[in-house]
Amino acid sequence: MFVSQSMTRKVVTVSKETPLLEAQALMAGSNIRHLPVVAADNLLVGIITDRDIRSALPYDLVKGQASDEERRKYAHLKVSDFMTATPATISVFDTLPDALLLIQEKRVGAFPVIDGEGKLKGIISVRDLLRAFINVLGIGEPGTLLCVLVDNKVGQLKRIVDAITEEKISFGSVLVARYWEKDKRAVFPYLLTNNVMRVKKKLQDMGFTLLDPMQWYMDQLPKTE
Amino acid sequence: MKRTGFLYDPRYLLHDTGPYHPERAERLEAIHQGIKEAGLLGNLTRVPSRLVDMKWVQTIHTLEYLRRFEELCLGGRRTLDCEDNQMCRDTYETAQLAAGGVLEAARMLMTNEVDNAFCAVRPPGHHAERGEAMGFCYFNNVAIAARYLQMEYKVERVGIIDFDVHHGNGTQHIFEQDPTVFYYSIHQHPSFAYPGTGREFEMGSGQGYGFTKNSPVLPGSSDDEYRRLIEKDLLPAFESFAPQVIIVSTGFDAHKDDDMADMRVTTEGFAWIMRTIMKMGEKYADGRILSVLEGGYALDRLPELAAGHVKIMLDA
Repeated sequence: MFVSQSMTRKVVTVSKETPLLEAQALMAGSNIRHLPVVAADNLLVGIITDRDIRSALPYDLVKGQASDEERRKYAHLKVSDFMTATPATISVFDTLPDALLLIQEKRVGAFPVIDGEGKLKGIISVRDLLRAFINVLGIGEPGTLLCVLVDNKVGQLKRIVDAITEEKISFGSVLVARYWEKDKRAVFPYLLTNNVMRVKKKLQDMGFTLLDPMQWYMDQLPKTE
Repeated sequence: MKRTGFLYDPRYLLHDTGPYHPERAERLEAIHQGIKEAGLLGNLTRVPSRLVDMKWVQTIHTLEYLRRFEELCLGGRRTLDCEDNQMCRDTYETAQLAAGGVLEAARMLMTNEVDNAFCAVRPPGHHAERGEAMGFCYFNNVAIAARYLQMEYKVERVGIIDFDVHHGNGTQHIFEQDPTVFYYSIHQHPSFAYPGTGREFEMGSGQGYGFTKNSPVLPGSSDDEYRRLIEKDLLPAFESFAPQVIIVSTGFDAHKDDDMADMRVTTEGFAWIMRTIMKMGEKYADGRILSVLEGGYALDRLPELAAGHVKIMLDA
């Protein structure tokens, strides 16, 4: 659950003195959009993004279609003039939920990950978080999703989990979500099986409501008159 | 009337999945019974089942997987790779008889002993990956047949149509880099159904890019939506691919009375799908259609669905 487990450790970095054109080539070559800027000892001093570079250079340079003469005109530009000097960062000891909330808060695509001394340890991007989330949801493995509507009171999840476990079915994940009906919760067990006919019937016999899959979100859509 | 081959062997009932398992012997009995009671057996050409020559199975599955399957099964283990795949001591041999029967049907198709064929086999195959049993499937019968046709009869382009309600992950993965086998599947949307693959953006890879096509269908959809998607996605794809043989992964589990998924296709809807496939067969493949059973679990609906399926093949 820690950022350090999901971050990219091999980070491509630049220094403040790196020419902007070189930073651009590095990004294009590695197919990335964020370059942490570091000083000696890997101390983080900023970040430069492809958006920073796009707004600094003319279009044909960004596209790599410029003449040598035009490239020379922009050769003096340095990373330090276009980077963000105090970027939002995250610590190796922070968690994935921290990173998710922070990314939503700061509206950025990636965070440099730093240690207690401000030294760069890695980078975590929206892409890394998505991968972690897919892993948590278990949807990389074959399975079937159920949606069980339950009363919002203690002990419901245990009954569902027990009933499913008795059928010797393994879980990919279980999500619990707010439901749009008062005092109800929606439970989404992702079951690693094709064989859900019997367990569905069993849950219904226990008094649970299984939602029609189309109601999971269709009910939430604005009604057209 | 067409000469339609029919593969069925009571030994397919020996694969015992234990109590409460949906993929059970009664499915096949219901299918056989339905065809018999519709008075169609006399019109069909019997396809004998045979133990498959393992060299054909090895064109699809890894040696490691085949050894594991054989050893665990004969050693009396009850499951292979996952709880879904329940087995008994007869399972390995039943899988060999199923694949071997499908290849025999393919042989008869190519030597003009039959015009088309329906293979009522167990266990099913389309979830089976190269090296892993999954979703009630052990040998990927359809994939093995496709390779057999290519290697033994020099068929250059094989089209596979999979209308089982679940996506045929195994078949797709086996051929995703192969431009000589086109895999089309229409199935319940993967966010709502096993196995969780078969989204529209899965279109093959490498040289095989563009030779995989998926039509995910939202739960609760019926004949109209199947018709719309097949006309939009499948017809143009096969128009440009022009398969020389069409293999059909036939699953009846999108039926409205089948509890395995949430689809509402009617018996008439299935008939429309099969008639459409037969028309494509006539147009591109000289009528060569090899239909192989996958899923379908509504025991009281399977007789009429199977009889209707075979009748369309006879009348094509």
